[in-house]
Amino acid sequence: MKYKTTVLDDIGNQHPRKNLRLKELSALQEKLKWSDKTERAGIQTEIKALPRKTDHPYEKELRAAREQEKLFLRGAKERRKKFLSQIKDTDRHLFNWQLEAAESAERYRFYEKYVDLSYDFEFEYKKHLEIAKQLPEAVIERRALLNELAEAETELQSLKGQDHSAAKAEYAEFRQRRKEERAAEKAELRESRRQGIISAKALINESKMADLSAKEDINSKKRSRPLPFAKDRVKNLKHRLKIEAKKKIKLLNSDISDLRRRTPIEVNKRIPWLSWLTILIPGLGQLSLGQRAKSAFFFIGTLYIYLIAIPYALGSGNYRGDGIAGLISLARDGGRLDRSIIFMIEGVIAVIFLILALIIFIISFRDVHTNEKKQIKGVRLHNWFETRTTLQRDGFPYIASTPAALLTIFIVLLPIAVTALISFTNYDPTHQSKFVWQGLANYKQIIAGQGIAGGPFWLITGWTIIWTLLATSFAIFIGFTLALLVNQDRIRGKRFFRTTYLLPWAVPAFITIMFFSILFSPSGPLTLALNSLLGNTDPSEMLNIKYTTWGTRIVLILLQGWLGSSYIFLLCTGILQGIPGDLYEAAEIDGATGFQQTRHITIPLLLYQTAPLMIGQYTFNFNNFSIIYLFNDGGPFAPSRYGNVAGTTDILISYIYKLTMQNQYQGIGSAITVVVSLFIIFVTWIGFSRTKSFREESL
Amino acid sequence: MTKKKKTKKTEGLYLSDRQPLTTAKVISLGISYILLIFWAFVIIWPLAQIVITSFNGNLTSYISLGGEYEFSLKHFQYLFNETYFWNWVVNTIGIAVATALLTLLIVSFTGYAYSRYRFKGRKASLMAIMLLQTVPTFAGITAFYTLHSIVNSAIPGFSRQMFLVLIYAGGGIASNTFILKGYIDGVSTELDDAARIDGCGSLQVYRLIIMPIARPMLAIIALWSFIGPFLDYLMPAILLNDPRSYTLATGLHTLINDQYNMHQPVFAAGGLLTAIPIVILFIALQKELVSGLSSGAVKG
Repeated sequence: MKYKTTVLDDIGNQHPRKNLRLKELSALQEKLKWSDKTERAGIQTEIKALPRKTDHPYEKELRAAREQEKLFLRGAKERRKKFLSQIKDTDRHLFNWQLEAAESAERYRFYEKYVDLSYDFEFEYKKHLEIAKQLPEAVIERRALLNELAEAETELQSLKGQDHSAAKAEYAEFRQRRKEERAAEKAELRESRRQGIISAKALINESKMADLSAKEDINSKKRSRPLPFAKDRVKNLKHRLKIEAKKKIKLLNSDISDLRRRTPIEVNKRIPWLSWLTILIPGLGQLSLGQRAKSAFFFIGTLYIYLIAIPYALGSGNYRGDGIAGLISLARDGGRLDRSIIFMIEGVIAVIFLILALIIFIISFRDVHTNEKKQIKGVRLHNWFETRTTLQRDGFPYIASTPAALLTIFIVLLPIAVTALISFTNYDPTHQSKFVWQGLANYKQIIAGQGIAGGPFWLITGWTIIWTLLATSFAIFIGFTLALLVNQDRIRGKRFFRTTYLLPWAVPAFITIMFFSILFSPSGPLTLALNSLLGNTDPSEMLNIKYTTWGTRIVLILLQGWLGSSYIFLLCTGILQGIPGDLYEAAEIDGATGFQQTRHITIPLLLYQTAPLMIGQYTFNFNNFSIIYLFNDGGPFAPSRYGNVAGTTDILISYIYKLTMQNQYQGIGSAITVVVSLFIIFVTWIGFSRTKSFREESL
Repeated sequence: MTKKKKTKKTEGLYLSDRQPLTTAKVISLGISYILLIFWAFVIIWPLAQIVITSFNGNLTSYISLGGEYEFSLKHFQYLFNETYFWNWVVNTIGIAVATALLTLLIVSFTGYAYSRYRFKGRKASLMAIMLLQTVPTFAGITAFYTLHSIVNSAIPGFSRQMFLVLIYAGGGIASNTFILKGYIDGVSTELDDAARIDGCGSLQVYRLIIMPIARPMLAIIALWSFIGPFLDYLMPAILLNDPRSYTLATGLHTLINDQYNMHQPVFAAGGLLTAIPIVILFIALQKELVSGLSSGAVKG
């Protein structure tokens, strides 16, 4: 790496080098680059002949200046005492500002001598010049405000002692008069309404406006009485004092930041080695670069890495697991109380902790690395004020979404990851406490349709697909038809129908499903009614819906039609009401019949707007656990074909529930979950990637 | 929709701006009415049965529709005195309120950030959460149980109900963020820019500008998160193990799932009490609720 002949500041301006040693060196290096072979040897000897770092006259001069600076800075305490004796103000800001301004004035005078020697001195000079210029102005302004406040407060005190009955009386009289005026205005409005000059709505609006303006007038009169006025003034001034001080400091800080951006820095460093050296301890690099406040935050990250993440991954501080190792061993050699599932979950948690740790490492390294590179180029690094400002602006989205990210990682991602892992184990009734990895065995079982648990898989999948398609389509059909029917022009009682059709959606589904389940139970009212309709009176011959597979299936589909049509109806009604009437008028003029209008205007518009929602309805029913489970518990059972776990009306989701929660076949249940989830993700992805917002890249 | 005034037929003139009815139209209108009234009956009948049976004093364990009817409140009395009904109500409301608040708090931040800021990984992360969310919540049931014991060992007061709140809130982050983001996208950035020039920080812009404008959508999100726990049966059935800690859905189910302890009319009474406030809420706010659902349509 070579030195450049110039340095670049933060806004990209080139500056000549002030460090003479580096200037000579870089000039020669530059020359070497463009020279031909004959000159090369000469230039190289010239470079070697340059005085060493410590011997160079410039470096000596610089060292001397640094010595002077040290001495000067040591005198700060002395100077402070002197300044203290001159300042009489008791106000905290005034006091501090004056102190700082005085010290800065001394400093800029000192640094002025060395401005040409180094950019560091130039920066110090400019900075203190700025402080010495701005703070006294701020002091003057603040003092004026303080004087005004004092004046206002004395006025308030004197007003408090006075008699205000006159003002009070005046106000009361004004209020009375204004109220009378308002009453008169309103009476006039009512009169106009009676004569039919204005509409009822205008009357309401106008009276409201009259009320408002009267209230406003009274209030402003109230506040302009001497005593409240003085109180307000004091309050206002106090507020301004607070705000102005903050503003002044902010302004000064941003001016100094501007100076930092315009004044380059010169370092002897040529390669960014610091970032590599401190890679293992986030925060250390920032500290060595002089960014103290920032380094504190990274040190918190270091503490997290070395006190939480790594020990946890190694197995200490676990609930009962063994960190990452537990993920592999799954408590194989553990005691009676060690459970594989706990080892697995804690292993996954350890992995997440480590990933978070890795992210901290990467962020810290990149931060130090880019800053080092910048510094070599000549850019002065951000101070805390600037870092905080950028963080507030650019870092906000990250900080704002951190809680959401953590919740998603631990509540959504972690359980899904664990389920995916379980699907590769033999977690079943005989291996509840200890299970082992067994590769793809569960998936093979499912695909081949073998085993106690994998057996009915394809049967259930078939019914799940039939169920999803029929139940959803039926509900959509009903909802659609009802919406078209109710929204006909000539139908009366729209309100009644709309409210009624909303009910199946509004009543919590579990209540209606359970109630229908009661109605269809062996001696339930609907079973009895159905049989009397069929003419079966003998209890032994009675048809029982819940005991026949297709009976239950048909009732389930009808029931979902009952439940699901409501929402479709509401949705379509909303869209129908939004279709502009002139479309129909135009069609009518062109001679379209009512049926044609429905066919060519209403239905295409409805379909176009509800399509993504309809896909949502299909995935909803694919996962509609409660209706299957609560209506007939997936029954009736047919052990010869379905085994002992599943019933004939179980869909995949309720089958998974039975496998994992009721029969402890977690391994194979998880495998099915993974397959189902991948399928749903695929379908949703297709539906989602076709939505408008996604295609327009406006996500 | 244009409103037509009633035509006065005194002079025998046809004054309606619609075409006169033909016979075919009269028939189709008649069929429409028959269908509509039929479906209204299909909806009202079972719901009416819930109301009727819950007040029928002649019923004991099972519901039957014939027979004598005697108005009585004994099922309600049983519900209040012999079951944990009030526990269930308190639990459900507590879980619902906590879920709504947590969701609002989290989603406010994310919705605002995703709408107003262009940052690295924005689209990728939103997409990832979106897809993760389509995995049914109970895919993780096996883990939830153990996860709760682990967290409980670290934070002793961490109850299963609190865990349920986290699951509900966590499960709704993506879709709710999406809804709120879409809504805030529709708000002009001129207001924020003005506020920023006046010296507002990110949080102040949200609190003073965005939040008041987005209040209707925030209300819808809060409402849906609040209603969710009332409607869900699965998660509490898996996670909660003590009848006292049940929510309404799981609690009411205990009244009818046991052959030896069957109280179908009491279930009807409990269902009625649960349904009434929710139905009123839905009817009053149907427009808002539907718009909330349809803007979150991408969720499966």
